[in-house]
Amino acid sequence: MSARLFLASMSALAFLAGCRKEESAKDAPIVLGVPTALGTIEGQDSLRAAQLAVSEINAAGGLEVGGARRKLEIASIDTREAEAGLPVNDALAAMEKLVGEKKPAAIVVGAFRSEVLLSAMDLNARYKLPYLCTIGMTPEFEKKIAAGYDKYKYHFRLGLNAPYLVGNLGKALDYVHKKLGLDKLYFVHQDVGWAKGTAAGVAKAAQAAGWTVVGSDAYPTGSRDFSSSLTKVKAGKAQVVVPIFDMPESGVLVKQARSMNVTALFAGFISPAAPGTAWSTFNGEIDGLVNFVFEAGPIPLKTPRSLHFNEAYGKAYGEEARLKLSGHGPGPSYDAVFVLAEAIKRAGSLDADAVVAQLEKTDMEGAIGHIVFNKNHQAVYGEDPKQAAASLAFQWRGGKRVVVYPESAAESPIEVAAK
Amino acid sequence: MSESILASTLVYGFVNSVALMLTALGFSLTFGLSGVANFAHGGLYLLSGFLAWMLIHWLKLPFPLAALATVAAVGALGAVLYRVVLRPVRGIVLSEVISTFAVGVAIIELFRWKGFTTYDFSLPVFVEGGVEVFGVSLDWHRVCIVGIGLGLTALLWAFTRFTSTGLALRGMSQNESTALCLGIDSDWAAMLSLALGSALAAVAAIALLPLGIISINTGYDALLVALAVTVLGGLESTPGMMVGSFLVGYATVLTGNTIGPRWNEVVYLLAIVLVLGLKPSGLFGRSKELEDRV
Repeated sequence: MSARLFLASMSALAFLAGCRKEESAKDAPIVLGVPTALGTIEGQDSLRAAQLAVSEINAAGGLEVGGARRKLEIASIDTREAEAGLPVNDALAAMEKLVGEKKPAAIVVGAFRSEVLLSAMDLNARYKLPYLCTIGMTPEFEKKIAAGYDKYKYHFRLGLNAPYLVGNLGKALDYVHKKLGLDKLYFVHQDVGWAKGTAAGVAKAAQAAGWTVVGSDAYPTGSRDFSSSLTKVKAGKAQVVVPIFDMPESGVLVKQARSMNVTALFAGFISPAAPGTAWSTFNGEIDGLVNFVFEAGPIPLKTPRSLHFNEAYGKAYGEEARLKLSGHGPGPSYDAVFVLAEAIKRAGSLDADAVVAQLEKTDMEGAIGHIVFNKNHQAVYGEDPKQAAASLAFQWRGGKRVVVYPESAAESPIEVAAK
Repeated sequence: MSESILASTLVYGFVNSVALMLTALGFSLTFGLSGVANFAHGGLYLLSGFLAWMLIHWLKLPFPLAALATVAAVGALGAVLYRVVLRPVRGIVLSEVISTFAVGVAIIELFRWKGFTTYDFSLPVFVEGGVEVFGVSLDWHRVCIVGIGLGLTALLWAFTRFTSTGLALRGMSQNESTALCLGIDSDWAAMLSLALGSALAAVAAIALLPLGIISINTGYDALLVALAVTVLGGLESTPGMMVGSFLVGYATVLTGNTIGPRWNEVVYLLAIVLVLGLKPSGLFGRSKELEDRV
């Protein structure tokens, strides 16, 4: 074989290999990165919800990008950021490892802790990946986008933020004040940023609405004795206690309140009392408790998408997993994949700037209600699920979670001293 | 301070103190009898909670039987822990601490890895209902905790003073060489003290965990509580541990009822720092004084 023929053959082979590579890149699945705290219930459930959405899109033939249909694929990594004392840098290193190794086209779910979320925004600003977060709640997220739009425009949040949580709690308390005539309030909350901020915000709104705040106590994470506050609740004749906790130990509060014969209505957020299995876990001692579900989905709205998510989750992962769904993360994580998929489809490419432009135009139904973003890329939450995304509050009554808020979705009004 | 808050401070201060004492009893007993600081105490505490839960929910055992089986199993595990992990490094204090700490962390993180992070794990209370004590509502389960804590302490006091096994263990803790001359097997004594301490960790878990739900961090918390009250009272002194428990228990409740619960930990950690600054061996410990004298 002459040298010329050899070179020509090699060139042809290289050309064919190049074509094949080009073709395989077009067919290759689109990777969605999920860097979050997978050791937490919220993280685990959010990953599963995102996976469910990916499976549904793939089952329907995949995602159309620029005329070709491509499958989606989830690549996850445990950032361990919910573990006590884990530095933010370690969580960011996990995200960087995921981005470096799996080359995702976008991030969904994202950071669990607010401080990680804020730092992740800076890291992601270098990679310019569409980042749809669903758990971290800090309002600083929006301020950061407002202050540096060009740098941070890739970030969107579908999960509830802290100001919306304050607003929802405030509205529910306003209802209790006006309809049930109760006017003495006591706050018991965890001594962490989001819970302190929420308690302070709700207290301010409640006082303006005519409530008397009898007291407010912050408990360090891991506290197991709430007798101090419960004694003061009784002494101060508080009629409503607002608990705000996301620690497992907060389950002691409701049990201890029952044992100390505290008759006040408990209305707020106690994470262990949220799942459908909590009734048996607490042996029925949570009867009457009003608990918030940050985003609809685990308890569905009466809308087709919300009901579909709830049922599909049960079919995919089992009835028990559906009942145990966390109240924060899964609904928006499921929706995040569809929101992103629609934006990519409309953009016709994976180009981040084009996808961001389409994400900003999002206007669709989801498991959490109607999804539109405000100018700072936060999903708008409101009381009407046909207009905005929705939070729900339910009351434990005889082993059932009865939706009591918002009025548009309520099955029944809040009851005091439910049996 | 109003009358109701004062009464609540007295009653819940007492209950919390006994709960702390119960948590630390196994750790203190093991150190007092064998000189081994069992840093796997928190891991064994958590293991006991999950084991009892598994026996009740997976094997459908009645709670009393599950509780007894858990105490026996964890006690046996303590003996195995000595034979397998501690015996090769016996006498090398740093190695003992590191190896038991590693075992404790491994147990706790194993449960995290296996997904025991949900809110489903709780143990039943011993007795439903409650009673008024000095006008303060108290549930029967907390009354039981007080009974178990005080009863066990009295039993252990009698065991180490009036039984030949207890006296042999005390002899070993006082002077190992002399005890060996009298035919007391050092390994046997240390293994027994580890088994007893581990069984006590299981008793504490079964008594205290029904107050809430079982979470992974409970293991670390139990070890920290045990360390705090024994260091405060004096590592090798069981009466010191009891006094330490009451100091921390009352300081915590008093702080919660007056300044606010967020200061609970600050106040009792400050108390520990102050006591150790003034008396480095703890309130009833003598090791530092003896060392200084030598």
